[in-house]
Amino acid sequence: MANKKKSFSISDYSKYMCLISIVLVFGIFSIVIPNFIGAYSLQNMMIEAAPLLLMAGGLSFVIYTGGIDLGAGPMVSCTCVLTGIYVARFGNVIIPIMLVVGLAMGLLNGLLVTKLKLPSFIVTLCTTNFWSYIALTLCPNGSEIIPMDKRFMVKWATQKVAGIPVVFIIALLGILLLFIFQQYTVYGKSIYAVGANVSAARLAGVDTDKAQISAFVMSGACSALAGAFYAYKLKSAVPTVGDALTLTAIASVALGGTSMAGGRGSVLRTLIGVVTITGVTSGLNMMGVDPLWKNIVIGIILIAAVCLNSDTKGRDLIIK
Amino acid sequence: MGDLLFEAKGVGKTYGANTVLRDIDMQVYSGEVIGLIGENGAGKSTLMKLISGVEKPSMGEMFRMGKPYSASSILDANHQGIGMVFQEQSLVGNLTIAQNIYLGREKGYSKCGFVNWNKMNQDAKKALGRIDMDLDPSRKVRDIDFAARQMVEIAKVLDVVTEAANGHAIILLDEPTTVLSDEEIKKLFVQVRNMKEQGNAVIFISHRLDEVLEITDRIYVFKDGEETAVMPTKGADVNLLYEKMVGRTTTGEFYVEHKQTVQTDEVILEVNDLSLFGAFNHVSFELKKGEVLGFCGVEGSGKEDICAVLVGDAAPTAGTIKVKGRECTFPNPCAARKKGILSVPKERRDEGMIGLLSIEDNIIVSHMDELSSHSFLSAKKMHQVAENWVKKAGVKCFSIAERINQLSGGNAQKVIFARALESGCEILILNHPTRGVDVGSKEEIYDLVRDMTAEGHSIILLGDTLDECIGLSSRIIVLRDGLIRGSFECPVGNKPLQLDIVQQMM
Repeated sequence: MANKKKSFSISDYSKYMCLISIVLVFGIFSIVIPNFIGAYSLQNMMIEAAPLLLMAGGLSFVIYTGGIDLGAGPMVSCTCVLTGIYVARFGNVIIPIMLVVGLAMGLLNGLLVTKLKLPSFIVTLCTTNFWSYIALTLCPNGSEIIPMDKRFMVKWATQKVAGIPVVFIIALLGILLLFIFQQYTVYGKSIYAVGANVSAARLAGVDTDKAQISAFVMSGACSALAGAFYAYKLKSAVPTVGDALTLTAIASVALGGTSMAGGRGSVLRTLIGVVTITGVTSGLNMMGVDPLWKNIVIGIILIAAVCLNSDTKGRDLIIK
Repeated sequence: MGDLLFEAKGVGKTYGANTVLRDIDMQVYSGEVIGLIGENGAGKSTLMKLISGVEKPSMGEMFRMGKPYSASSILDANHQGIGMVFQEQSLVGNLTIAQNIYLGREKGYSKCGFVNWNKMNQDAKKALGRIDMDLDPSRKVRDIDFAARQMVEIAKVLDVVTEAANGHAIILLDEPTTVLSDEEIKKLFVQVRNMKEQGNAVIFISHRLDEVLEITDRIYVFKDGEETAVMPTKGADVNLLYEKMVGRTTTGEFYVEHKQTVQTDEVILEVNDLSLFGAFNHVSFELKKGEVLGFCGVEGSGKEDICAVLVGDAAPTAGTIKVKGRECTFPNPCAARKKGILSVPKERRDEGMIGLLSIEDNIIVSHMDELSSHSFLSAKKMHQVAENWVKKAGVKCFSIAERINQLSGGNAQKVIFARALESGCEILILNHPTRGVDVGSKEEIYDLVRDMTAEGHSIILLGDTLDECIGLSSRIIVLRDGLIRGSFECPVGNKPLQLDIVQQMM
């Protein structure tokens, strides 16, 4: 066994898939659209990508455990509405408040999954309705704009430092923190262990409940931050902002090459996935493609990504 | 010697640039049992895959009764009278025994899309009867124990193959005895002899050399993908086979008895009147520091369940567990680990290895709480710990970043041992620690066990064989039907006889 060389297979392509796809997307669009890699366009993309980056980064952890958080999008809606409505009263303190709200939402999901031993897709499919409910009752007439005289409070997020939007810098910092959490903490290691083989991890004495709960809490907190930043970005409370985001975030994670079956992946891969997806959506936008097509395209990307990523032996199923 | 049923000439297999099997010549005659032995990764399973149609050879030719032979799939091989019983079981848990036996062959029992279950059950009963198994064919496979599943699998293959090749079938058994108890092995051997008398041939792969010596007529020895010896079983012995397999002679003292420690008087684990309803009753014993306590008993004697309770995998219905004099309850294995009890689980692939993770992560996973400060782990420290263990346990790998599922069975088991030792737990439960491990690694694992007790660990051992249990243990508790039937002291030089222990077990 000592000199066993690996043969080249499709799984080797999938390792580099995220890099290939990012080069392809930006290459093609920059040929088709002359201003695609211009400063203005890139700044816009960064602002666009920032909240998604946080949301998909947090969601990655749930996916590492082999689970899924179908409520991530509506969580964003919920916290976006809360932020949009209450930022006038609380000011920027609203961000830590939202963080706590997100922690609580994640904790609820995590407790239901671990204590009742339910599959995560069932739990999150059900709890997601609470988040939508909160968002829609607080904003019965569609979106609500942050009053003009309070706009100064939220302006900083979209301002630029050395040409880079502040909100994007924050999102990158967030990804860095998530990377440290993933790589160098007991929680991160436990989350991977649970995703890779839950019964072995359990018998090895890993606190599997704690690991799963921490993954959901992380996802909740990150979605909540994303929601707050959407409110800052859109300068209003939009109760439907997150509806399509669950799909986009899952597609970003998958496109990065993180396994839907759990146990492998990285937030750095998710970072590349988010940038690629943002590139696609912005590119289609600039080409004047009907926005209704956006989700169809993302859906196709998700299917293609999972298909390319999945182990040829077929142990990559999203049922856990 | 009967007719030549099967012949391989210069058969080999390469995966990319990696040759795993080369220049294999093999003849299989009617009415003989062939033993195939070799360490893990020697190429035995690869050859079986080539013969049974799972994979195609990259070189060489195969002949079936004189005609060129190739099989495109397992089913195709079955139709040509060659069937394989897989090491990793291939039954479907939520189907019944009969449905499993006739899986893929339901056509014979269906009319207009409706299946005649009664007839299928009757035939399944017959198929099971052929190997003396009395099981209700309408039971679901997941409800029967591992040993019975193995027998069902054999019945299934036998049924398919005998249908196709009347009296000239070839049955491949890939480590069929690992999950069987001694009594069941005896039953299996009777069946193997039956098949042989009917003119069929059996190829038998096992890590247990004594079994190979008992049942086979000729033995092929593989090492590193090559055939190193072919010999008649008559005249072969364990030492000779070992030498051919490993390429060196055995140290003679297989269980490293000279390193067996004498336990101290310090009681580290005290179990009082422990019961788990339906599994075991009123079990009391003490485990001393530095002791290897062996549990002997047939499948279903309750020894597995006792271990499950001790590691927090099942909750006892009555009784107490005291660790170092303090009474404890374990709601989950994590709680047991924190009190100092950890297991090396029985099913290595499913319960031991965390396949997708690196060797490093697999080693530190049980000790993360202590290695970290405020939940943060230092990369340097983790590397050091892992490198240290890889060296100490003799794990053969490229780097500690390699995934554990790329290691061979023996090496992977050493990583699991490293995990258990790194955990800092003083009480280790070794549940079949050498199951499916090749002879060379076995010896290294025995050595590790000795080092463990020398360092003050206490061990509860569920041996893979009775021989192993006697060889390694300093004391043995015999269980039958969930009750403790006896206990034997096993000091060096005065080990109890197998027979005495077996009498208590049965």
